[in-house]
Amino acid sequence: MSGAHKLFLALAASLALIASVTFAAAPAASEQGITGDTITIGAFGPITGPAAYIGLAGRDGAALAIKEINAAGGINGRKVEMIFEDDGHSPAKALAAVKKLVDEDKVFALFCVAGSNGTIGTIDYVKEKGIVMFVSFASAPGVTWPFAKNLFRGGTTEVPRYGELYAEYLVDGIEAQKIGIISGREEYPKNEGDALTKQLQKWYEIKPAKRVEFNIGDKDFTPQLLEMQQANPQVIAFFGNPAEAAIAMRQARELGLNQPFFVGSNMVDQGLLTAAGPAADGVSGFALIPLVPNSSDPAMKAWRAKWSAEYPNLPAGRPNTFDILAYADVYVLAEALKAAGKDLTSASFIDALENLHDYRVGAIASPRTFAKNHHIGNLRLQPMQVKNGEWVQIPWEGKRPSDILKRYQ
Amino acid sequence: MTWRIALQLALSGLSVGSIYAIVALSLAIPFKASRILNFAQGELVALGAYIGLVLTSYGLPYAAMVPATLVIAAVFGVLLERAFIRPIVGAPEFTLVIATFAIGLIIRALIRIHWQDNTFFLPAPYAGPALAVGPLRVNPAYLVIIGSTAVLVGLLVLFFRRTRLGKAMRAVSFNQTAARLMGISVGTVFGSAWALSAAIGALAGLLLAPVIGINPEIGHLIVKALIAAVIGGFGSLGGAVFGGLLLGLLETYSGALFGAAFKEIVPFGILIAFLLARPQGLWGATQVRV
Repeated sequence: MSGAHKLFLALAASLALIASVTFAAAPAASEQGITGDTITIGAFGPITGPAAYIGLAGRDGAALAIKEINAAGGINGRKVEMIFEDDGHSPAKALAAVKKLVDEDKVFALFCVAGSNGTIGTIDYVKEKGIVMFVSFASAPGVTWPFAKNLFRGGTTEVPRYGELYAEYLVDGIEAQKIGIISGREEYPKNEGDALTKQLQKWYEIKPAKRVEFNIGDKDFTPQLLEMQQANPQVIAFFGNPAEAAIAMRQARELGLNQPFFVGSNMVDQGLLTAAGPAADGVSGFALIPLVPNSSDPAMKAWRAKWSAEYPNLPAGRPNTFDILAYADVYVLAEALKAAGKDLTSASFIDALENLHDYRVGAIASPRTFAKNHHIGNLRLQPMQVKNGEWVQIPWEGKRPSDILKRYQ
Repeated sequence: MTWRIALQLALSGLSVGSIYAIVALSLAIPFKASRILNFAQGELVALGAYIGLVLTSYGLPYAAMVPATLVIAAVFGVLLERAFIRPIVGAPEFTLVIATFAIGLIIRALIRIHWQDNTFFLPAPYAGPALAVGPLRVNPAYLVIIGSTAVLVGLLVLFFRRTRLGKAMRAVSFNQTAARLMGISVGTVFGSAWALSAAIGALAGLLLAPVIGINPEIGHLIVKALIAAVIGGFGSLGGAVFGGLLLGLLETYSGALFGAAFKEIVPFGILIAFLLARPQGLWGATQVRV
């Protein structure tokens, strides 16, 4: 054997040794965002702008859950790391955030705590890349319909389900035939208004007595409320952000409109009560979580104590529903990541998520169930009403079977 | 539309317009004195609201908190002018615009570091149930906004006509060189104009806070205030007030008559119309370049 051959064999043997050691230490190195001891999740949502109340809460709730999970030893020996990007509640900024997370930060999966407005900007790209995106808050139909293998919806539900529940509650529950709708012109409130309008027509052949719109961030609702006054509905359904709803409710009472308000599920929260004060009394809506954050239930009190210890200086109205949704959904992710095993891949992660059945982190969260043919984790919402300045559960349950899952069969 | 609805809309439009007018005034004063358009004015509105929030959290009663906030804001205005504006006062207009824009972004970022984008509420003693005035319902907070604007305009008229400093500001706005030759300290006038402007901005923040809450975006109405100032004529204080009120009324009526989308279209449509047909605004003086 010549000297050159010996040198070549020695080099090849060394490379083989290095490779075997490297791959033994990091068995899943072929998946981006995974090392031998970390799983990197990319998260995004609005922490600036008019919808910051959801993004800030999403970020903080998720961070608390991750801290607990890591303190308990992580997932199959790996710690979870989260990289968070602000989307400013804009589809374009959300897409830029997701591209950075996927292409530059090389995250393993995406955790979306954006509103529908931001989320819709990312869907095509996420589908193209095939990376798993778990959406915690956005109800925009495009997340789960048409069905995509890599997109999941956690704590919230698909907006047509809102339409079903809202229509049934308003017509059968409080026996309203004349319904006024005030909705924002951005993605989420517009979708809610459309879903309610469509479902009222489909199930009850009722058209809204009046539907008017407003711009995100509006500070004066006199024109819309005067139109409501003329239409004289039995109930006013308002879809937008809590700050907007609070102004509208106060102005409604000032103008002498005494009809009850019904609000979208993003507002069934302490934040609305803080902003609207006594004007919120009598308001009803559907909560995305079984217990509101200021509930005196022992499970919620214990969770609130943990949260307050972590974030002692945040304002009245926090923790809100979105802190809890994100916290609970990170535990959903963790449960699936654990079930996917040490040799974690996107495929094994999707498979584990699809096998989750009625999983929840505790009494503070609704159970999440996914299936091979649909990725809507939650179809249950809790009807609530403001009484004496607090959200309380109301004993009403929808009787009509949901049409939502039929299209996935 | 019935008379009652028309009047109720007018009241609402005047309330919104009063806020535009106050912020437009706070833009017009330093512009009049130093020809600098302060794009950080929206952030000075926000800063006023946050100063009020901090003072209230330390237990200061509302009656003491308001003057204290205005004084702190005025001092901040002076410091801003001395530290950042005066060193570049002779720079091209574009440089000055970018500088004030950057100052605004820095103020907003600093606010976000501590408070993030959470919304806070500043209780006001006048907040309460609506008052019935004939067939109309009036929110006391809106009455305070309209009343404060009227009082502020009156005080500014007295200030510019009766006080030495006010007269000095007018002199500087007409001709800086002549004013300097007459012994007026132009630097003092600049500093005073920024102090006054910052205090008026802070007043707008305090008036808005009980109505819409406090967050870093509370001063975003700077764009509407700019439109108001353009309508009225930049540098004309009366014009700024008139422009603000007119804009508030037009926005409210267009929203009621044509839908929410037109609330956004109308102000900018009016802006373009003025820039094309009467760029000096209703009360602004025509400038001839030679």
